[in-house]
Amino acid sequence: MDRVTVLEEEIANLRMILQQKEAELYELKKECIRESHAQLGSTNHTTPELNNLLKTHCSARLPKWAIVRYSRQILLPDIGVKGQEKLCSARVLVVGAGGLGCPAAVYLAGAGVGDIGIVDYDDVEITNIHRQILHSERDECMSKAESAAHKLRSINSHIKVTPYNVQLDSSNAVDIASGYDVVLDCTDNVPTRYLLNDLCVMTGLPLISGSALKMEGQLTIYGYRADRNCNEKNASYRGPCYRCIFPTPPPPQAVGSCSANGVAGPVPGVIGTLQALEAIKMIVGLTHEKMLIERMLLFDGEDMTFKIVNLRGQNQQCAVCSQTPSITRLIDYEAFCKSQAKEKPITLPVTERRRVEKQKRMTGKSYYGFRKTDRDKRAWVQDVPKSERKIGPPCSSDLCQKGTARHCNEFDEEARKEMFRHFWHDLDWKGKRDYVKTLVDVVPPKRRRKKDAISRKGDSKLYHLRNKGERLLVCRLMFLNTLGLKEAMLRSWLTCTDKPRSPKKPLKSLNVDSYIDALPVCPPKCEICRNSCVQIRYLNLSHVKNIYQLYVEYMKEMKSRNISPASRKTFCKVVSLRNLRVFKPKNENDVCDLVSQHNAIPSYSYQNVDIGKEGLNHDMPTEYFYGEDQLLL
Amino acid sequence: MSQLKVILQFSGGAELLFDKIKKREVELPVLEKYLPQINKSEWSIRELLVWMKDNLLKERPELFLQGDSVRPGILVLINDSDWELYGELDYKIQNGDAIMFISTLHGG
Ligand SMILES: [Zn+2]
Ligand SMILES: [Zn+2]
Ligand SMILES: [Zn+2]
Ligand SMILES: [Zn+2]
Repeated sequence: MDRVTVLEEEIANLRMILQQKEAELYELKKECIRESHAQLGSTNHTTPELNNLLKTHCSARLPKWAIVRYSRQILLPDIGVKGQEKLCSARVLVVGAGGLGCPAAVYLAGAGVGDIGIVDYDDVEITNIHRQILHSERDECMSKAESAAHKLRSINSHIKVTPYNVQLDSSNAVDIASGYDVVLDCTDNVPTRYLLNDLCVMTGLPLISGSALKMEGQLTIYGYRADRNCNEKNASYRGPCYRCIFPTPPPPQAVGSCSANGVAGPVPGVIGTLQALEAIKMIVGLTHEKMLIERMLLFDGEDMTFKIVNLRGQNQQCAVCSQTPSITRLIDYEAFCKSQAKEKPITLPVTERRRVEKQKRMTGKSYYGFRKTDRDKRAWVQDVPKSERKIGPPCSSDLCQKGTARHCNEFDEEARKEMFRHFWHDLDWKGKRDYVKTLVDVVPPKRRRKKDAISRKGDSKLYHLRNKGERLLVCRLMFLNTLGLKEAMLRSWLTCTDKPRSPKKPLKSLNVDSYIDALPVCPPKCEICRNSCVQIRYLNLSHVKNIYQLYVEYMKEMKSRNISPASRKTFCKVVSLRNLRVFKPKNENDVCDLVSQHNAIPSYSYQNVDIGKEGLNHDMPTEYFYGEDQLLL
Repeated sequence: MSQLKVILQFSGGAELLFDKIKKREVELPVLEKYLPQINKSEWSIRELLVWMKDNLLKERPELFLQGDSVRPGILVLINDSDWELYGELDYKIQNGDAIMFISTLHGG
């Protein structure tokens, strides 16, 4: 296990170095690209066809290296040198770096599309990797957009790749899309699909829309405008948009998701790949009848069928793409679709989730912390990502090096790593606290200006680390970095005492108290109870039969006074804590609701809890009444 | 009265509401006998949906139908073309027509 941790850390470090060097190389390459390209033309990649290409087509806009690099697609009559020029200057936005976005972006990068933007707010999860081919195991928890961008750059260092690690919404979509010519819809939810459609119609961009679920995929192009393609004979032609075909979003319960219904990896692979192909065709300027415009491809991997169906044309009454649109700016798509754009994570029961997250926190792993919700300041949600504990760099202070007091430089990396590992892996929470307490000495200020005067100077702390059992003084940074701690954590540990937690604060009764105080009360009707000094009082309201009705009354009054009412639970608790009860006798003989024997005819008692021998003892715990009130509701 | 056979196809998950059968050939009864109250002799998609609801759709009709039409998000194709090109609900069904119901996918 130790070896595993050590290797993991080593690899992480090496990876960081690799990334830095790759970035450095990329920059260098960009600079000397012209010099090296001069010689590229004569390498052994050349074929007679290529030489021909080079002779006839070495344009100013497309350098030799590009003709060599993209030669296999330039040879296609549909692409050619002109098409490659267009590809190299094309700007494509891929929305979603998932099952569709990954393969689509791979082929776009390979084809030399000059500027690729990739949008995704999500992080890589291990469950994504079977279909999201740009991400690998080591990218887990990394931003999908970043991970994808990194891989795309390694596929083609000549292109510009821009990751957008955000959730596309009505507020940022126009800005992001403004720098692109074509948009690929590789998203996984209905609201974002409507958002992208409206965005593309409003900005005049074609939207190549793919989708996949289980064993099936669908592909079509929305919002195509012939006036942006000089090869089109009829410049006024326009293809349908998503809303032309689906003016109304589907009911949320009819929408499946990859996480709930599953998906075979190659299915989005097929569709995403074809999205890239349609994008390439679009960029090089093929005309609409050659592309999936007004047509939809249906792919069924189960029986391996590809089917093309004809869609309706552009709807002259469409809410967004007609001459007189009713939607002219981006709206709230989650509200419009009555569903969320984020796939909901699989939810554990709250207590179980809390336990799991707490366990992660205590072992130094990344976990979700709490925050107060914006809407209800009293409610907490556990969704704040907190990063895992990491060992920080060793002390590099000159002061520590020169001086003799601090021993920062006596700890080698191995020793520090072992300390960090021991601290986070071997010690439990209390163990960690004790460990820290034994290593930090709190020294009160030596003298105060005036005796007992309040001084702003706090206690100073002396930090130590153990080297072969010996407790050696180090600086604060060395101490915190070695244990992967932050100041706040340390402070809370040092001030923490083992006192038991104070009992829960008394129940907030809000406005219930004043409401109840105003109600008429009377002593028990039952003589026996009244004479035995019982604390119980009865609410004397002719129209209220039980506490439930009383709560309804209370709600009515609060509403009329525009005060937000307490919950039923709180209300019942306050009532029972005040030893108040509601009791409506069913007949003359029904006088006591506490002890059935007090009634002349016991069988009439409606309360079924038999107090029996303790019947006369009316100093019952309030929980008992509370419990019964609950039953009554 | 000549017989009226049609091919019904389902995809994109719509087949789940129809016993997971993606393609079936059905023979529609004489309309005057099946729906005497509407006083029509020719089947249109409108009546087909009624017949499908009564005979094929076993559970959760709201995931297929809404009002007298299909729910939003289901694409209806008549002989591989959008039913909008044929008059939607009023299209008169011909013998041998292939009518396809596609639930749109949104995953990725
Ligand atoms: Zn996810
Ligand atoms: Zn439209
Ligand atoms: Zn130091
Ligand atoms: Zn009594």
